[in-house]
Amino acid sequence: MRAVQKTMSYTFDFSFLAERWPDFVAGAWLTVQLTVVSIALGLAVGTVCALLRVYGNRWVRTPVGAYVELIRNTPLLVQIFIVYFGLSSLGLKLSAEVSAVIALVVNMGAYSTEIMRAGIQSIQRTQLEAADCLGLTRLQTIVHVVLLPAMERVYPALTSQFVLLMLASSITSQISTEELTATANLVQSDTYRSFEVYIIVAVVYLALSVLYRFAFWLIGLVLFARKRKLGTAL
Amino acid sequence: MKTLFSTILVALLSLVTSAQADTLDDIRKAGTVRIAIDTAIPPFGMTDDNMQPAGSDVDTARLLAEDLGVKLEIVTTTGPTRIPTLQTNKADLVVSTLSITPDRAKVIDFSIPYADHPSVVGALKGLAISSYADLAGKKVAVVRGTTQDTDLTREAKGAQLVRYEDDATMALAFASGQVDILATARSLLPAISKKNPARTAESRITMQTNYLAIGLRKNEPALKAWVDNWVKTNLQNGKLGAIYKKWHGVDIPVDQLLKVGG
Repeated sequence: MRAVQKTMSYTFDFSFLAERWPDFVAGAWLTVQLTVVSIALGLAVGTVCALLRVYGNRWVRTPVGAYVELIRNTPLLVQIFIVYFGLSSLGLKLSAEVSAVIALVVNMGAYSTEIMRAGIQSIQRTQLEAADCLGLTRLQTIVHVVLLPAMERVYPALTSQFVLLMLASSITSQISTEELTATANLVQSDTYRSFEVYIIVAVVYLALSVLYRFAFWLIGLVLFARKRKLGTAL
Repeated sequence: MKTLFSTILVALLSLVTSAQADTLDDIRKAGTVRIAIDTAIPPFGMTDDNMQPAGSDVDTARLLAEDLGVKLEIVTTTGPTRIPTLQTNKADLVVSTLSITPDRAKVIDFSIPYADHPSVVGALKGLAISSYADLAGKKVAVVRGTTQDTDLTREAKGAQLVRYEDDATMALAFASGQVDILATARSLLPAISKKNPARTAESRITMQTNYLAIGLRKNEPALKAWVDNWVKTNLQNGKLGAIYKKWHGVDIPVDQLLKVGG
């Protein structure tokens, strides 16, 4: 390390952390809050839309399809600006945090619709017929025969999307939410230790990602009994 | 493992550091001067109708490159990344509404000032704001990391600061009604008011007058001497004043600037 410092003109200095670490904790906490709410609501939206897209008639399928394509083919930053600045111009003033959650839910909803649709379509017709023969109600069939096995099959893809959403939430700093990246920008502009600040933030995001994956793995164990008992997916 | 780690670290470091050399000499050898400009702060730096960089800082950079006898390469930057861009050797100079502050002077060097730059708190027409105390409990927009951000954080304790990443986003927040009060350069208020005629920003509190200077990395005596002399010459011959007048419609106080610059 000494040799490095001799030949390079850059010297690392993390001393600002002693004073600023509560800012990073507050930023990371807001990132967690924003994304957990967005993931939960987004998955709910996606699940309903996926069911409508598979089992609905044409009048339902078309608008859901349009929503999915519209969101999946436009940048998240543009969607965030439309919610925050667009709705405000129309007179609906939402705070930056609420705007961010709305945009993230809409975005998450579209992606999870497609993921859940793939899972639902993988459930064979014979399964539905068997459920019918056993006398399950429509709701019981949808929950136990369609949704849970469908979700089990696409769970790895969903988990990746959840983590991606958490990382993507960094761009809500653009509309002044004081989440982790915004905190980094603020501390960086106060201390001018940009390299150090972004290294710290990268490590925090990495830790959050690992934490999220672990949490979703635990949730998966609870949700999918078969996997828990047999140790294998469908 | 340890060797691998230090190899990566050295590789990373070499990306962000430069050899300790004479940048003025490097510029002349390369035949190109890289100047960082934020092109999202009209009328200092912006993109014109032909999608070309334009503005008073752009013209200043062009004049500097011309007098240096080298080609100009504009490195587009943003407010918060102006100083890192310089520190990490992505640019040789920063000409980007950079105010001289003691904090910044710890990490970079400044030339003598080439323009003045008053900061104000602007408010929506009709709003009763005349002192920092009036800001208590109100949302005030600032651009993160600017001198307005630092000053308001210190002076207007009760105000709720809403921090945006650049002037364009802050201007949009004002025009769309997300905020009614903003702290920015006086020179920006006309442009911000033009975005939405129903929402005019008026200057209410003059925060402080800053001096804009050209930023350069520390320990560059040859480059600093050249730039200082260039600023002085072009203030005296009126060329810098003409650029400022063209874009801002006001004269720069040449005598005052020369006095501040010593």
